Amino acid sequence: MLAETVKTLVVKPTKCVGCRTCEVACTFAHSSAGWLGHSRIKVHAVAPERFVQITCMQCIKAACIKVCPTEALVRNPGTRAVELIEERCIGCGLCEVACPFGHMFFSAETRRPIKCDLCGGQPACAMFCPHGALEWR
Amino acid sequence: MAALKSAKQLSDYRKKLKSTASSRRRTIAVCAGTGCKALGSFPLFDAFTAELKKNKLASRIDLVATGCHGFCERGPLVLFHPEGLLYQRVKQSDVAEIVVKTVKQKKVIGRLLYTDPNSGKQYRKEQEIPFYKHQKRLVLASNGQLDPTSIDDYIRGGGYSALAKAIEMGPEETIAEIKRSGLRGRGGAGFPTGNKWEICSRTESDKRYLVCNADEGDPGAFMDRSVIEGNPHSVIEGMIIGALAIGADEGYVYVRQEYPLAVERLEIALGQARRLGLLGKNILGSKKRFDVKINRGGGAFVCGEESALIASIHGERGVPRRRPPYPAVEGLFGKPTNINNVETWANIPIIIGKGSEWYSSIGTAGSKGTKIFSLVGKVNNTGLVEVPMGMTLGKIVFDIGGGIPRGKKFKAVQTGGPSGGCLPESKLDTPVDFDTLLEQGAMMGSGGMIVMDESTCMVDVARYFLRFLKSESCGNCTSCREGLVRLHELLSDICEGRANADSIPMIQELAETVKTTSLCALGKTAVNPVLSTLRYFREEYRAHIEEQRCPAGVCKALITYRIDAKLCNGCTLCAKNCPQDAISGQKKKLHVIDQDLCIKCGICKDVCNQDAVLVE
Amino acid sequence: MEVTIRINDAEVKAQEGESLLDAARRAGFSIPSLCHHQALEPIGACRLCLVEVKASGKEELTTSCNFRVTAGIEVVTDSAQIRKQRAANLELLLARAPGSTRLRQLAAEYGVAAPRFQPRVDSQLPNCILCELCVRVCAELGHNALNTIGRGEHKRIGLPFNQPSDSCVGCGSCVSVCPTDCIFIKDTPTTRSIWGQSFPFVLCKNCGAPVITGVHRDFAIKEKGLPEDYYDTCESCKQAATSKRFAAVAW
Repeated sequence: MLAETVKTLVVKPTKCVGCRTCEVACTFAHSSAGWLGHSRIKVHAVAPERFVQITCMQCIKAACIKVCPTEALVRNPGTRAVELIEERCIGCGLCEVACPFGHMFFSAETRRPIKCDLCGGQPACAMFCPHGALEWR
Repeated sequence: MAALKSAKQLSDYRKKLKSTASSRRRTIAVCAGTGCKALGSFPLFDAFTAELKKNKLASRIDLVATGCHGFCERGPLVLFHPEGLLYQRVKQSDVAEIVVKTVKQKKVIGRLLYTDPNSGKQYRKEQEIPFYKHQKRLVLASNGQLDPTSIDDYIRGGGYSALAKAIEMGPEETIAEIKRSGLRGRGGAGFPTGNKWEICSRTESDKRYLVCNADEGDPGAFMDRSVIEGNPHSVIEGMIIGALAIGADEGYVYVRQEYPLAVERLEIALGQARRLGLLGKNILGSKKRFDVKINRGGGAFVCGEESALIASIHGERGVPRRRPPYPAVEGLFGKPTNINNVETWANIPIIIGKGSEWYSSIGTAGSKGTKIFSLVGKVNNTGLVEVPMGMTLGKIVFDIGGGIPRGKKFKAVQTGGPSGGCLPESKLDTPVDFDTLLEQGAMMGSGGMIVMDESTCMVDVARYFLRFLKSESCGNCTSCREGLVRLHELLSDICEGRANADSIPMIQELAETVKTTSLCALGKTAVNPVLSTLRYFREEYRAHIEEQRCPAGVCKALITYRIDAKLCNGCTLCAKNCPQDAISGQKKKLHVIDQDLCIKCGICKDVCNQDAVLVE
Repeated sequence: MEVTIRINDAEVKAQEGESLLDAARRAGFSIPSLCHHQALEPIGACRLCLVEVKASGKEELTTSCNFRVTAGIEVVTDSAQIRKQRAANLELLLARAPGSTRLRQLAAEYGVAAPRFQPRVDSQLPNCILCELCVRVCAELGHNALNTIGRGEHKRIGLPFNQPSDSCVGCGSCVSVCPTDCIFIKDTPTTRSIWGQSFPFVLCKNCGAPVITGVHRDFAIKEKGLPEDYYDTCESCKQAATSKRFAAVAW
């Protein structure tokens, strides 16, 4: 794998205006169509007119991978994202609790975790952010 | 006695035993198998001991408690050697007279002889009695002679000489000899034993195991029990020969929980074999090692299935696994394991001792040697019989079994236990042979042979086997667990008058599902009783379904008890004995059964001296 | 070791010894199952994943979940026989789980609308089909709180001695894997009720929302070795705290 094909999702909170287009795009990209509770990126207001987007840090020493009992969370070598393999997940919920950033969300309806997978290499949030607060480069 | 370290030491030991035996000329063999034990043969044996001592004969007469003689219908059995005189149904109160008359005065006591119920002829010699005459007792040959708790008896009679011969032959030649003999597994599946040994021996591994399957779960089967109780060393010798040929150093005998006497005799025999250096390290100086552990079952029929048996030895639930891989490749603790039935192991010393050419001259082209059957049910001579493969069912049931008691008519014979099928009168000329029985819709199985007469309802028989299997199933597969329950429901519908035109098509549909989609042989063969009875006794099913009638008079919901007006003499016996007070009538007048109260218990029929109670 | 097999006349590459069902699904073939899970040992209980396999000259109808792939096998995933026997097993299962929507839908796909048998439903776990996924997952996680009880027609799932278990941690994985949703679980803001036991939640030190059961947390700290403070805050509050930390750096 050549160095130039490895991209990173760069998050720039100083450019974020809190429009939440990224959240909407994310849900549509993952067929949760508009159900913002299932967005894998969440925009937090830290001060009036100051926003920070929180999404998966794709940690190199991921706590979620460490804690998963069935190796259902694996590194995608192409995107370097931590991906959930649904067929291997047993719905124990430990990954949600283990993530230090609070990114992992365990859905009570499906009893499976929901997490960012960088859309397989074309993150919708970055594609749709109107202000360049999310860049895929 | 020190361990024997070579074949020569063994034969010297045998010679010594034979020379000391000649001082005893007469032997009294009292059957001490579980069947005769239940009839009181242990106290009988003690009575003989006391009586011989009293008459100062203890040093001149050899008294032996042997394994099952086979003629269980007539137990307790006492056999006199060398003349071969057989006394049957011997009571403790007969012993004093026997010792005086037969032992001292060499006179025969007529009432203790076997009398053929059909011909009325009396027999003195065991070998002349039709029950024994038509048998070919190879595996059971010594059951009426040796003391199963004496390894000396076994060796004196030639025991363990086959082991010495096999050591000399070497592993490859031993396996080749078993292959040449044509021996097929006696546990039910009939897989060629030599081939199984070869597969196991050729699977690369640092360790191999041997297993003797003594779970014997088929209702009515007690062949394996009697072989272990009566001649445990024959099984042990077979296992040692197998172990050395295959390259196994550890073996297990898996005995069902319900066989305490067999376990006891086996433990004694194993201890004796170890002390003589026939088990353990350096067997007979061969530098090879092998030893055997006993593993008792927990009361589950499914643990007779080899992969469930392995799981059970592991300490897990007895749930079968998909095969392949077969145990010969990947079995106990993941290692190549050779599993054979008790009777198969007991045939090994015979084959090695007398040669495969001789052995393969017995039996049919596809099924060599002999087979032990437990002949039970509506037959005069119930017991254990050993016959050459190829003998017809009819000869077994009539010539050996003595036909049907109380003048009733033969209806069917069931072979193979819950996995087997029922064959009608028209199939009595079927030879017992693995493949032939399968073609006819039955199965050799482990050797259970149940004879049925006109008072047996074949639909009820099919229902009985399904009831057995639905609770013995491990319950893993939908098809077996649910399918057998539903099949039993359908059979019950038929027996209880709730069937309709869809019943048989549904049974056939379900049977196909259970047969083709179950994981293990329990499920796959569970439908044989119902399918074979449908094949041969369709008319009986039709009567149940279309006429709500049970021709055999068994299915309670479909029968009525009625008192015949012409035969009833008004003695009131029936009314007095009826537990439901369902019979009314005045003295010397016709009695009548109230059908609403009648529970079909049959007591009125039993007590009536006029045979006036009819079952319709 | 990679081997080549044929599925419905197409060449497929698979790993020797792997589950035929996994290999077929990975290659895009659709085979239904209820008792299979990639992370757990297959037991071949439901009998729905039937295929026809030709191997070493022998043809057999077999379940694919517990069939170990070997080189050169030829597999058929759809035929009249397969559909017939699948429908038959679905009918038997539907009589065990008449209340399962998923099972009813799957059965309807195979032409089974209503079973021709009376329902035979476990009194304590209605709609249980004995797929044993709950048992297997609990064993895989190391708790071993659940097992099958009895055998044959009366086989059922339960806790040893029918008593609340010392080993259950209230993780709810059994509920997550159950194909007919027949395991009772009830979460209040402070406790989880499951298998006849009440498990108090660890509450978020910030907002009081339930995070994880206390027993499960203790188990995870011991077995997984993550710091204790990973378990005392809910994910929303962790996100909020993270956003504040990032804000301190960004501005």
